[in-house]
Amino acid sequence: MALLEIFDPRAPPRPIGIDLGTTNSLVAYVSDGRPVAIADCDQEILLPSVVSYLENGEVLVGRGAEARALENPKETIVSVKRFMGRGANDPETRRLGPYAFVDAKEGEANVVRFRVRGRELTPVEVSADILRALKRLAEDELTNVGAAVITVPAYFDDAQRQATKDAGRLAGLDVLRLLNEPTAAALAYGLEKKQNGTFAVYDLGGGTFDITVLVLEDGVFQVKSTGGDSQLGGDDMDREIAHALFAESGITDEAAQRPELVRLALDTARKVKHALTEAGEVVTELLPGKDVTITRARFEGLIQPILDRTGVACRRALRDAKLKPEDLDGVILVGGSTRVPAVRAYVEGVFKNKPLADIDPDQVVALGAAIQADLLAGEGDHDEVLLLDVLPLSLGIEVGGGVVDKILPRNTTIPTGARATYTTQEDRQTGFVIHVVQGERELAADCRSLAHFTLKGIPPLAAGMAKLEVTFKVDADGLLAVHAKELTTGLEQTVSVKPSYGLDDAAVEQMLLEAIDHGESDLGKRRLAENRVEAGRIVAATRKALDVDRSLLEPGEREAIEAAIRATEEAARGEDPGRIHSAIEALDLSSKEFATRRMNRAIAKAVEGKNVDDVEHTMERS
Amino acid sequence: MDPFATLGVERKFDVDLAKVEKTHRELSRTLHPDRFAGAGASERRMALSRAADVNEAWRAVRDPIRRAESLFSLAGIAVGDTNEPKPDPELLMDMLEQREALAEAKAGRDMKSVRALAAAMEARAKEAEAALAEGFQDGANDPRSLSALLPKLGELRYLRRFLDEVSAIEEELDV
Repeated sequence: MALLEIFDPRAPPRPIGIDLGTTNSLVAYVSDGRPVAIADCDQEILLPSVVSYLENGEVLVGRGAEARALENPKETIVSVKRFMGRGANDPETRRLGPYAFVDAKEGEANVVRFRVRGRELTPVEVSADILRALKRLAEDELTNVGAAVITVPAYFDDAQRQATKDAGRLAGLDVLRLLNEPTAAALAYGLEKKQNGTFAVYDLGGGTFDITVLVLEDGVFQVKSTGGDSQLGGDDMDREIAHALFAESGITDEAAQRPELVRLALDTARKVKHALTEAGEVVTELLPGKDVTITRARFEGLIQPILDRTGVACRRALRDAKLKPEDLDGVILVGGSTRVPAVRAYVEGVFKNKPLADIDPDQVVALGAAIQADLLAGEGDHDEVLLLDVLPLSLGIEVGGGVVDKILPRNTTIPTGARATYTTQEDRQTGFVIHVVQGERELAADCRSLAHFTLKGIPPLAAGMAKLEVTFKVDADGLLAVHAKELTTGLEQTVSVKPSYGLDDAAVEQMLLEAIDHGESDLGKRRLAENRVEAGRIVAATRKALDVDRSLLEPGEREAIEAAIRATEEAARGEDPGRIHSAIEALDLSSKEFATRRMNRAIAKAVEGKNVDDVEHTMERS
Repeated sequence: MDPFATLGVERKFDVDLAKVEKTHRELSRTLHPDRFAGAGASERRMALSRAADVNEAWRAVRDPIRRAESLFSLAGIAVGDTNEPKPDPELLMDMLEQREALAEAKAGRDMKSVRALAAAMEARAKEAEAALAEGFQDGANDPRSLSALLPKLGELRYLRRFLDEVSAIEEELDV
């Protein structure tokens, strides 16, 4: 079967799932209904999330890059995920690595920039290099790689999600969906074991910690609550051990600042940590001839504060879900750090439940993402599973006195929307600045700034007369769009968006062009391929709808839609991506009313509870 | 937006939440953008916007305070700080005392007292909800008698704030 796939030039595109991790990344796909992780030529599945930029312009990703980290700490970016969606001058960010950071210039997007061999690279570009490597790996295995689902920590805020999506786009991936990592893990477990119940997903990875409580019922996974810490993980354990190694080796604080020494200590620490999963104690050396012994008990003492921090988040997630530990049917372990025996014992203590770990905790997220990609891209039976995700952090607007007015509370099911009305503070005020923040704290300064909107051209009225309606819309990926409207005039105002920590569309477009300069691919070719795939997808979906819902067609409608389908197919046989795009738009327009009728009927059915699925489920239960 | 109409449930305070949750799940199953990953742009937009409406409606109906607010608004009665009558001084005094007791329990890290205070507030919230359910039932077509119900909503807000404070304390003392 594999041989046939390799040699079939017209192999159908295969959807892939990607776990873009802090420490390791991997890609998986569904083969014969089972998710499989893809290994490289050395049979390694985990690709270290390390990117090294060589003098000759070559980019190394993975183990090869990792090997260079010690010698070239400034040219080798480790754990780039921690920098995603972060601000350039954020001191917290700078603490995270021995890199040459570039200060944000006036008028430039406020994102982290690394100076590497004369180039300025953003975390989005570095992540795109990791994604490209995974895409190549998938291409070796699958010939024709289709759309992708990329996972993100449930705790990622809007800027971090947007950065991840931008990286996918930059790597030339058709990103179907961003999926929360714990939800992906639950999907992997849920589908294979077909369990119903309430679960907690404890995900302690290299650099992030997530705790999610979710319910599985009638094929619907619903996230009840989520929490965690985007700056906590196995790397912190390494850091604790490294500190201990410095102290035991008699290395001064000053010497312990040297990048090479830091990297060596962290690498040694990681090895010590891994060895202690089996061994009771490990003897190692940082400086020649200075043996250091770390016992498991010592290690467990060092990481206790980290475990306690996860415990606080766990209890909060249970409270948010209005559950007690006894209400849980199981706990799923995700992330390499959950291999540490002390972590397992701690989790069991917090949740009073022996955690599930039958699926490799390093792979489970990517396997779940592959399942989701298969469901989303598949023509067939995706009626079985649905993921209802929630907003990880509250969204709000800064009002008088720097206080946050929460518009959407955390743990709101997405997609969703909300509106709030504000008024002018001064007479004849014609402009209004809206500051959007994300977080749980009361003061805007303590929350994460997402964007500043400037609303201009408000009619000059007395203070309090103009009424501004601000609308938030959050899509299924947890990405936010904000619109503002002045109500007394009814005029929708043009809102200028300045993301606080992100790249705007123009910047991403520019990066795409630069990537091509670096010999990546031909943009026109890529657009043509992308548009052809989309045309095929939409033609197939429309045909299916014409068949299934033919009773909803008005006289003459079928002919018009079929003509638009033929035009789209003809355009797709041509070489002009613009023409394909126009044909798709025309097809979309011709079938819009038919689509509305179909959706209305589906809604009516769902409300009446006469859904065929529903009847079957009810019968099964009774 | 009428959240009750969006979810196809009867417009009343005393709703069967388990049933509405089921309808919400069916609607999500039907409208979730994941169901339209392969569809055309306008169909995708339509599904996204309706799925968002459904989630917004569910949020309005499931929470007693927001449910009452929706019912008042739909009856043409404005809600919100400036539109509602000033709270009863007796209620204010009472809440002040309760809050002092809570602050004292918090200072002494006395979770048992915190929980006892919270339980009493929860019972009062249940009573206020029952009063709202009855009031909305009786005054369904009478704006004036509905307006008389507004203080109950105000009281529920105070009780909620108190219970939010309890959650914050639980989190701070991490129990």
